[in-house]
Amino acid sequence: MKLIKLISWQYARKHKLRSLLTMAGIVLGVAVFVGMHTANQSVMAAFIKTVNRIAGATQLQVTAGEAGFDEEVLERVQAAPGVRVAVPVIEAVVNLNLRSQGNILILAVDLTGDRSLRDYTLEEGEDTVIEDPLVFIAQPDSLMVTREFASANQLAINSKITLDAMDGPRTFTVRGIMQSSGLTSAFGGNLAIMDVYAAQKVFGRGRKFDRIDLAVNKGEPVAAVRARLGQMLGPGFEVDPPSARGKQFEALSSVYGAMANLTSMFALFIGMFIIYNSFAIAVTQRRSEIGILRALGASRGQIQTLFLAESALLGLAGAAAGVLFGLLIARGISASLGEFLGEIYGVAQRADEIASDPKLLLGALAMGVVTSLIAAWIPARGAAQVDPVRALQKGRYQILSAGENRVRRITAFALLGVVVFCLSFTQNRIAFYGGYFLTVIAGLLLVPTVAAWLSRALRPLMKTLAPVEGTLAADSLIQSPRRTSGAVSALALSISLVIALGGMARASYDAINEWMRVAFNPDMFLTATQNITDRSFRFPVSFADAVREAPGVRVVQLVRNGRLRYNGGPVMFVAVEIAKLERESFLPAVEGDSSTMYKRAAAGEGFILSDNFAQLYNVHLGNPLTLNTPNGPLTLPVVGVVRDYSDQKGTVLMDRAVFIKNWNDDSINIVRLYLQRGVTVEATRQWLERQLAGKTRFFIFTNRDLKAYVTKITDQWFGLTYIQLFVAVLVAVLGIINTLTVSITDRRRELGVLQAVGALRHQVRRTIWLEAIAIGVVGLLIGFLFGVVALYYTIEMSARDFAGLRLEYTYPWGMSAALWPVILGAALLAALAPAEQAVRGSLVESLEYE
Amino acid sequence: MSKYALLLAVAAMAQDARQIVEESQKRHRSNSQRYEGVLQVFNPNGKNSEKRWQFSRVGNYGESKALLRFIAPPEVKGVALLIVNHTDRASDQWMWLPELQRDRRVALQDRSTRFFGTDFSYEDLEERDVEQSDFKMLGEETAEGQACWKIESTPRKTRASQYGRVVMWIRKDIYFPVRYEMYVKDQVVRRLHYRKIEKTQGVWSALELNMEDLRRKGRTVLKTEKLQYNVPVKEEMFTLQALRRGE
Repeated sequence: MKLIKLISWQYARKHKLRSLLTMAGIVLGVAVFVGMHTANQSVMAAFIKTVNRIAGATQLQVTAGEAGFDEEVLERVQAAPGVRVAVPVIEAVVNLNLRSQGNILILAVDLTGDRSLRDYTLEEGEDTVIEDPLVFIAQPDSLMVTREFASANQLAINSKITLDAMDGPRTFTVRGIMQSSGLTSAFGGNLAIMDVYAAQKVFGRGRKFDRIDLAVNKGEPVAAVRARLGQMLGPGFEVDPPSARGKQFEALSSVYGAMANLTSMFALFIGMFIIYNSFAIAVTQRRSEIGILRALGASRGQIQTLFLAESALLGLAGAAAGVLFGLLIARGISASLGEFLGEIYGVAQRADEIASDPKLLLGALAMGVVTSLIAAWIPARGAAQVDPVRALQKGRYQILSAGENRVRRITAFALLGVVVFCLSFTQNRIAFYGGYFLTVIAGLLLVPTVAAWLSRALRPLMKTLAPVEGTLAADSLIQSPRRTSGAVSALALSISLVIALGGMARASYDAINEWMRVAFNPDMFLTATQNITDRSFRFPVSFADAVREAPGVRVVQLVRNGRLRYNGGPVMFVAVEIAKLERESFLPAVEGDSSTMYKRAAAGEGFILSDNFAQLYNVHLGNPLTLNTPNGPLTLPVVGVVRDYSDQKGTVLMDRAVFIKNWNDDSINIVRLYLQRGVTVEATRQWLERQLAGKTRFFIFTNRDLKAYVTKITDQWFGLTYIQLFVAVLVAVLGIINTLTVSITDRRRELGVLQAVGALRHQVRRTIWLEAIAIGVVGLLIGFLFGVVALYYTIEMSARDFAGLRLEYTYPWGMSAALWPVILGAALLAALAPAEQAVRGSLVESLEYE
Repeated sequence: MSKYALLLAVAAMAQDARQIVEESQKRHRSNSQRYEGVLQVFNPNGKNSEKRWQFSRVGNYGESKALLRFIAPPEVKGVALLIVNHTDRASDQWMWLPELQRDRRVALQDRSTRFFGTDFSYEDLEERDVEQSDFKMLGEETAEGQACWKIESTPRKTRASQYGRVVMWIRKDIYFPVRYEMYVKDQVVRRLHYRKIEKTQGVWSALELNMEDLRRKGRTVLKTEKLQYNVPVKEEMFTLQALRRGE
């Protein structure tokens, strides 16, 4: 402690800016980790809170995926032994077009029995609802809203709200205002209660329920009732405690969580290099200090401990600042994340509070400290090995000995050999990820050598551009490979991340565009909801008959999609008239025979899988696939695999007839319309609006609208990637600033001498600017090389562990070109302050330095 | 008294209690019934509401069918409840909602809940056949100003009930019930008074029923008007199809 106070603290105070910059990498990495995860956890916590508050005294919930189930299931569940009360539920998030907060969660229940499970305490309208549920259920326009929602929208008893029901806009009447309680705080207070049978009509559910909430008899073990119900209902149904819904949501958003981890880990990894660089330089700068300590009797262990303690404290301070910063940004991220997850997965959720998990925060602190310790380990060991006699002599500290370089190169090539070996076993996860890790290590070990080659290669060009300043800048880089390689490594890693993510984004866009071109070729789409991911409303099958009457319509395709559980995970099903799909939007088979695949699926002889489903669940052509339906397990062979990007968790395509037969559901989500030649979309739109508006709730998307919508969702998803790219570039810029600040301090004497022998201020400035640009150029070139490998691994990772997407490897040349001005501009900007620092200081002090 | 004599006496009393209840049901039996009811609900907070319904019933006690259709106020007009009583188990009940044009079954689990916000539960609308309960004579008492037998009925296992037991007072002179007390555990939770007992077409009838919910502290009065017995009522009226047709 004494040494830290006497030596380390004094050093940090003297080099405040550098200490802050060194810390910045940790701050950023931890902040991104805490921010993104806290936002994710907040949305998750809000979802779970909503689930729990809505669940009330519910002990078990019966569901059958998103397809829902027939009413008769309710009677079976109610009659099951051990069940005290079982009530039907329909849940939907709808936009009410009200002034303050548009989205509201409609919880539709059977009030007769539901009060055994949930507590509806009313503060107004007691006569009309609690005391007289007859009026509430007799009038299907009845709604109970929360006090919070009523206040926000200035609603009172008997106020009217217009809701787009399936049979057109319908006016609802507020017949009760609930007092604030656990239930009413669900979904941020935007909650309304409706009669479940009225909701069937409003949301086009036919005679189906989404869910049954139940409580068991007193003294009856919940697990026993759960098992009994599971057995009675069969595998098409899930009987779970309410908490399981949180797990489903978590499973849905797991790709986001993985992205958040990847971003923060990368930020920390790059931050590690900044710390490594700073400590390596600090060790060389403080050689004389170390020498004196060693001469005074300090042991090697004490010196190493001193540097490690410094790094631990730095890591702790950086992590603490990162935690605070992360919590600050979490609110902003969570606000948009709820909507974003709603758009992508169709599960809307609002996070009004930030849920900071102490474990996560402690983990983040530990992560910061450990990262800092790992980064400082090699420099600290180097400090401990300093010879006291040599340390007290002045000399060149930044040189890497030829021996050291050779060892690095040999190790790197040995590692690359292992990587090549690992590439032969990429099916094995350890071999795959191990190979990636070793490639990064090998690349980093080669950075000093490659950076030196490139710096030497750049020297003539820099000399041509600016004979004096260019030469000085190039020499500075060549003579200080340790310092240069630290900054270049950080920059190259950042660039490789940009290339990998950018390349993947590009490949994804290309793939999605191609898929959209083929799969989204109808002229018009009619949906029951405002977006295609929300499935709160459904059309009755009679809607299609009305649409078929539209003049000039060539083909009408009916689509029913939704989620169901496969192997415990949520996957998408798409039930469509496959024969029409084959004629109109033929997607070639990735696995299987394109010419027979559709025919077999249309005949109900099999399923067609999306490529990502096949990858994620390792189910391929010819394999039997079993889906649990309300009528029992349905096993059909996989007759083909196609590239389909409908859902990140995988999609099963089946013929509509198969779905209707096994799920007892003929409702529709989307109607795809192909028009005859010469018939305009606008004319059909006008006809549909004239004939159906006011009778049926529907939304019209033209081909262009829908493509724009999918592109918007894709953009939102890759918005996360852009955050990653931004963090990567920011950390890289921090690295350059740090290196240059260190470099200026390190070379104060040299720069002082330059000025003393007549160098002008602008020449010194330009030297430093050129040095920064040279670091940028070297970093870019090495980064592009790293990027080639990183892109390969990222695409592979995406295919095998995240979304199961098999993407084409396409190097993002455009992005690489765009990076030149960005990084070189950032490098130049990063050099401005250090350059000023170099020319503004006292010449005498500079000459006395060291 | 030997223990056998005691057992015989207890058995005789039990037999008496059952016979009394059976006799009561037999005496007031009618093949069909029709009336217009006025339902007044008095809430603990002093507010009250009124509704009117038409009631029709056909069949023997305990296995009858009844249809209850609201006629006022306008917001509940047409809402109906069909009750099909069974001698061996709880009744089946369906509700008809004209605005939604659909029926819904009142689940067994919901029979203990309040019938449309009144102080009656759905279960209280059922007819209780003697075969579904065990009876015990508790003695004789004056109730509603009349000499009565005080009899306790306990539901048999075949019959699900929210009540652990029901104590009833049956007038000794005319075998007509005047009061019921319904127990959950050892607590009286509801009390039903039969008032304005008159003979209509030769059948003793209570023209006013007063149900108190002692937990909620509310009260519901059902007044019977235009009461008729043995009127021509078709069996087909008491089916789900008829309920859906709004007959």
